Amino acid sequence: MQSLENELKECARKLLTEKKVDLIIGYKKGALPLRSTPCFIREEKDVDSLIFDFTCSNNLATYLQKSKLAEHRTPNTENHGKIGIIAKACDARAIVQLIVEKQVKKEDITLIGIACTGILDLKKVSDGLDGKEILNYKLQNGEVLFQGKDFKKPLKLSDILCDVCKTCLNPDPSVYDSFIGEPISGAKTEIVDKLEGLSPDERWEYFEREISKCIRCYACRNACPLCYCEECVVDRTNPQWFGKSTEFSDTFTFHITRMLDTAGRCVGCGACIRACPTHVDLAPLGIKIEKEIKERFGYTAGLSLDVIPPMATFDEDDKQEFIM
Amino acid sequence: MATFKIKKKRLKEFIDNLTKEYRVFIPVESDGVASFMEIGDLRFDSYNTDRPPKEIFFPQTEALLTYKEGEISSPEQASTEKIAIFGVRPCDAKSFSLLDRLFGMEPNVAKCSEYKDTYWINKRTNALIFTIGCNHPLSTCFCNWLNGGPFNKEGTDLLLTDNGEDFLVEHCSKNGEEFIKTKGMPVQKATKVDIKRASSIRKKAESTLSKPVDITSLKEDLDNLWDNPVWDEIAYKCLSCAACSYLCPTCYCFDIQDERAGNARGKRIRIWDSCMFSLFTKEASGHNPRPSSKERMRQRIMHKFNYFVENLGEFGCVGCGRCIRSCPVNVDIREIINTIKNVKLTVSNEK
Repeated sequence: MQSLENELKECARKLLTEKKVDLIIGYKKGALPLRSTPCFIREEKDVDSLIFDFTCSNNLATYLQKSKLAEHRTPNTENHGKIGIIAKACDARAIVQLIVEKQVKKEDITLIGIACTGILDLKKVSDGLDGKEILNYKLQNGEVLFQGKDFKKPLKLSDILCDVCKTCLNPDPSVYDSFIGEPISGAKTEIVDKLEGLSPDERWEYFEREISKCIRCYACRNACPLCYCEECVVDRTNPQWFGKSTEFSDTFTFHITRMLDTAGRCVGCGACIRACPTHVDLAPLGIKIEKEIKERFGYTAGLSLDVIPPMATFDEDDKQEFIM
Repeated sequence: MATFKIKKKRLKEFIDNLTKEYRVFIPVESDGVASFMEIGDLRFDSYNTDRPPKEIFFPQTEALLTYKEGEISSPEQASTEKIAIFGVRPCDAKSFSLLDRLFGMEPNVAKCSEYKDTYWINKRTNALIFTIGCNHPLSTCFCNWLNGGPFNKEGTDLLLTDNGEDFLVEHCSKNGEEFIKTKGMPVQKATKVDIKRASSIRKKAESTLSKPVDITSLKEDLDNLWDNPVWDEIAYKCLSCAACSYLCPTCYCFDIQDERAGNARGKRIRIWDSCMFSLFTKEASGHNPRPSSKERMRQRIMHKFNYFVENLGEFGCVGCGRCIRSCPVNVDIREIINTIKNVKLTVSNEK
């Protein structure tokens, strides 16, 4: 049986040589042992650099945003150029949501779904190794053996995967043009709501702790495929809706606003938390919002092309218990 | 020049004493992020912090002036506090000396900004820098490419070398020398054995760094590369966030904003800004001379390795590796430098 990566390379090679796509967006090995990095491939000779493993932390769908595509010397999809994009199930949902929101045309994209069993949480790895630098690693039998300058230590794989991956409800893409690997079994069925049952004080403590770490670099916003506003509300200065300094109330407002702006559109991929250089983790809030959306509107972003997102429409049956 | 040593077990007491006269900052880890703080548990084995110590002298948010009912005050400028930083790494200490020149603090140095930034200068004057050299540089450290090293002395008042049970202490500046002479740091004279040991530790540390890439001609190489298509290759994956700039010890761009409460009072603040943001060069007309990540990445590299050299005589990078570690898409500035060195000059660019 062919390895996942070989299957992926074969698929990519075929798409390029048969001229079904002009560009493949995927992952290649990064400059550090536990990092991968996005790669843009136009020539068949570069296909061998494609990888796929638990270091593939970016949501590549972000590169399909109009503004990002327009920026590249490569022409954007509206003019010409078909794009093949490698997508974990969550990334695939983001692509579907972008199509539903008319940001991307389905006929311009070849969605190469790929089986994913979870992405590494680098903070968990670092905590497990007491902050020591990793020079090498080996995955075997549900354990990852990490090696550094003067240490060797195994960590259980299940202990170092991202929380959002461990509680993933949709590990298989519903919409795709190709699928690499085998469908995943044993997915969770209940949304894990970490904020449930916390007292108001406990919730405040959580928000205060996380938001105090923020340095307003906007890595979270820029990594998110669904944050594509041409002018972000936080950047507007005339009028200026909120401050740009690290004043707590301004930073808090930015994050709440971003969470609410992505309500009903967030696919819970965790790219935002992994992008953050200071480990701000507001995923529990994002997940709670999506839980509300599911309960109220029966909607989960990115599962189907044939929907109207709940925040873009209304229905007479929508619950109104909070105003009536 | 005498060399001293201080026992590690006496350090806590020494730092506690120091707080009587100075605001003392030490490297502290909190929730996975290491930064310089005034309280916490000092760790000697940690690498350079995640957040750069530039934020002690150049805070991310700083009030330049405040006003209330017609009265203007500038508390930041008037402050007479003395600051001591214990546990800086040589890369960050070097960043202080680079930014000193940028902020106009070193008028006698050949290339120094004319404009004096009194906010920086005020805090930096009389600040005491205790640098701990790096026995175990990280794989992302490349200080040795940039005339730095794990025991480099630039920007340092007192250089400490971790010698096992104690730290070797050497003064690298007049302030450092004064401090040892007068302030009663519980040091003893270092023996020949201590010095020899430290020397072999340093040699070992220096040898673990990857072989430096020769960048003596990098500035000139960049002079000829403005229109070269290499910038597309370099910038394609950049998300245009500010992770690299904000965590960089030598980045210093800032925006100025006014924040007011009604008409009677308010403050003028400066906040960190980044050339990587698309908004950085957006003009009032709506035109943006740096419309894509290509132009912005070019700007970042040119600033650090070309303009800084032209304006201040040295590369504006200390090789600390924070940008490599923090970039969400793993842009590696060392790869960029190598790409630039290897780029084939097109006929039109040849001069």
